[in-house]
This record gives sequence, C-alpha cells and structure tokens, in this order.
Amino acid sequence: MGKAQQAFPLHFYGTITHGKLLIVMETNVIWWTGTSVTAIVLIRGALVGLLRKYPLFYAYISCVLLKEIVGLLSYQFARNFYEPFYWPSELATIVASYAVIIEIFRQSLRHSPGIARKAQKFLLAAFVLTLSYAATDLLHGQFASASRAIAELGRDLRYIEGALLLVMLWLFVRYRILLGRNLLGLIGGYSFWVGLNVVNLALWFLPGNGFSVFLRRLLPITYVGTLTIWCLALWSSQPEPAQSAENAIERDYELLAAKTRAALARTSERLVRVMKP
Amino acid sequence: MTGLVPISVLGTLILVLGIRLVAQSRNRRQSPAVTVDDYANAREALDSVFVETAAIRRIFSVEDAEFVARSGTRDVKRLFCGERRKLALQWLRRTQKQVAQLIDLHLRLASYTFDPSPGFELRLTAKYLTFVVVSNIVLLLLWLLGPFKATRSISYTIRTASSFCTTFSLRLERVNPTRLSSGRESLVH
Repeated sequence: MGKAQQAFPLHFYGTITHGKLLIVMETNVIWWTGTSVTAIVLIRGALVGLLRKYPLFYAYISCVLLKEIVGLLSYQFARNFYEPFYWPSELATIVASYAVIIEIFRQSLRHSPGIARKAQKFLLAAFVLTLSYAATDLLHGQFASASRAIAELGRDLRYIEGALLLVMLWLFVRYRILLGRNLLGLIGGYSFWVGLNVVNLALWFLPGNGFSVFLRRLLPITYVGTLTIWCLALWSSQPEPAQSAENAIERDYELLAAKTRAALARTSERLVRVMKP
Repeated sequence: MTGLVPISVLGTLILVLGIRLVAQSRNRRQSPAVTVDDYANAREALDSVFVETAAIRRIFSVEDAEFVARSGTRDVKRLFCGERRKLALQWLRRTQKQVAQLIDLHLRLASYTFDPSPGFELRLTAKYLTFVVVSNIVLLLLWLLGPFKATRSISYTIRTASSFCTTFSLRLERVNPTRLSSGRESLVH
C-alpha cells in the first residue's frame, strides 16, 4: 500500500487478508462517527440559523460531508472508483478549508477596521511567500505518481493554511479581540485540527519515521474530536459580545499611543526615583 | 530533517495560541467591552501608585533601618525588615499589575482605531517587556535581600550604568567625523 493511500484521514484498511479485522472495525466506526457528526453540525447550523451567519464555514462542512458520502458509497459499491477519487477529493477539501480561514477573518475583525486592513496586507504577503515556496518545491520535485504529487501539494497547502492561521491567532491574542462563543468554538476546533495536521504531515513525509505511523492512526480520531468541538460550540446560536458605543472608544491611534507611551515612561522614571536612596 | 523543525514549531504554536485564545476569551467574559473611561481610570490607578511618594520612599529608607539597627532588639529588627520587605513587594506587585492592566486596555482599544502602527506597537512591546524583566529582577532582589540591601545594589547598578553611558557619549563626542570619513576613504583606496 502506497504512502499516499495510507494517509487518508478516515481510511479503510483494505488489507483484511492479514486478519486486521479489529482495525477495520475501528476505522469503520471512526469513519461513520465522523460522517454522522459532520451531518449533525450541518443540520444544527441550518436549524439554529448559523448557516446564514457563517456561510463559508458551512460550505466547507457541506464539501466534507459530500466527499465522505461519495467516498463511502464508492468504497461499498465501486471500489475501482475509490482510489482515483480519494486524492483529488482530499485536495479539494483542503482548498475548501481556506473558506474557514476567510470566515474567521471576516467575522473576528468586523469591529476592528484598522487591524483588519493591516492584517489583510500581512496575510496576503504571507500567502504569496509560502505559496511561491510551495510552487518551487512542487516544480522541482520528482514524483513517482500523480497521487504522490497531489499529496505533496495538499501538504504544502496545509502548511500555508497553518502559517495564515498562526498569524491570525497571534493577532487575536495580541489585540484581545472579542469573540462570541460560536466563533471561539469554530476557531478553537480549527486550530486543533490544523495544528495537529501540520505536525502529522511533517512527520509523515519523513522517511522511516515510526512515530508517524502512530500519528497517522491518531489523525482520524483528532478530526472526529474537531467535529465534536464544532458540534458543541455551534449547537445553538450564542449572542455576540457587546461592543462599546462609538463615542466610548478611541479611534485615533496616535493619541492613544502617545498617552500609553507617556504613562509607561512616567512609571519607569518614578520607579527609578523611588529606588534611588 | 531540517524542514521538520520549523513545521513542528508551526503546528505546536498553532495549538498553543489556540489554547491561549480560548483561555483568554473565557477569562474576559465578565468584562467584555472596553471604553476610553476604563483606560483613563487605569491611567489614574497607575498614577495613584506613586501618589504617596514620601510614604513609598520611606519603605526603602536606609535611615529607618539604621535607627532600628542602633536601638532595637534582634526581634524588632527582624520584624521591621520583614514588614518593610512585605510592603515593598506589595507595592511593586501593585505597580506591575497596574502597568499590565494599562497595556491590556491599550491593546484592546488599539484594535478599534482606524490606523494602528505596527512599528509603534513593536517599540511599545519592547519597552513593556523591558519593564517586566527589570521589575521582576527588582522583585527578586527585594525578596532575596530585603528593601535596604536591594536598593543599595539597584542604586549601584543605576550609577554604574549611567557612568558607562556618560563615558560612552563623551567618547562619541570626541570622535571627529571628518577624520572618520578620511580614514574610510583611505581604507577604500
């Protein structure tokens, strides 16, 4: 079995001839659980009205659900179709997951126009840089098969996604951006999934790494974990945190910066004065 | 193998920041919105830490320590030192807390501004980090040596640093820029 085939997050181990019935059952359970939770997330989103609020996120969830259902059906009824279907669909899902990044960016920085503008430039620069690095990597790589090439492209796209997510998380933490419970759950689940996926992909492409085998088996469970986080966080529509009134906040950065700088300088100076005998 | 390290760091940082974000948002549930009034109050609170300057200076007063050393018994001396240490630590911790609160409010308010400056933010972070490091060193010295010995060590450090800076700036003043440029030219030719 090729490396590309083994990396499937909800992969069926086809080699039943080796007597690995338990693994097959375990994988079946994970696959079915994952698909069911995905469906629940989508149905609940439609029922509580979050589908309209986070359309891009639910578009991604629909894409994953569609892929899983087609994958399950093809595995059961048309196995020949399953292998050529798997990698392109995996790549399409990774590309679709960029919608979640856009959704997070759109929703989180609605009330922070200045940060949003600066972050947009920064994220665009990070995206172009990492994309050109990935493109160079892809162009210079010699691939044994098309599935291997797609797998490596998928990995690079995941790395770019990780880099963009990291920048956004840093911004949210740094500027203490106010997030509602729904959005917080969405970001938390997504960070959990992308973070573990990036580490796993890095180890997976390392030849002869035994630990990656363990991580690969852990990955479907982490995806089910992510779906569970999303399911719990998006079970009902939570109110957005109250924002301050326009006249109660400062829009002039220069003024705010000058005040903080002066306060910090005054404190340091007084501290030194007190400490001097 | 070399590529593995940055990617693993990337993955780990995502997880760490994700957890930090969730924890931070949970802690702030009670007081979500921030106003300019909150910021003004924080500035006032920070200033109030230094309002009783005479009383604060008294905590570190060497004269008091010398007086107790001359006339007090051993128990009185120990009690005096212990209380002054406690007061000094409390005061410094309060100052640190007020500064941290001011920076927190600054960042939260900065997210609403139209044109935040990343350059200034970077400088402010550097200044704040310096303050945190220095104040923690002072805190450690106060805890280890007590307020009187700690002030002596701090004062010695400040004096040495300022004399070093003065010497350095005097040397810089003595440097003749015309001679410097002619020397550079001779190096080129």
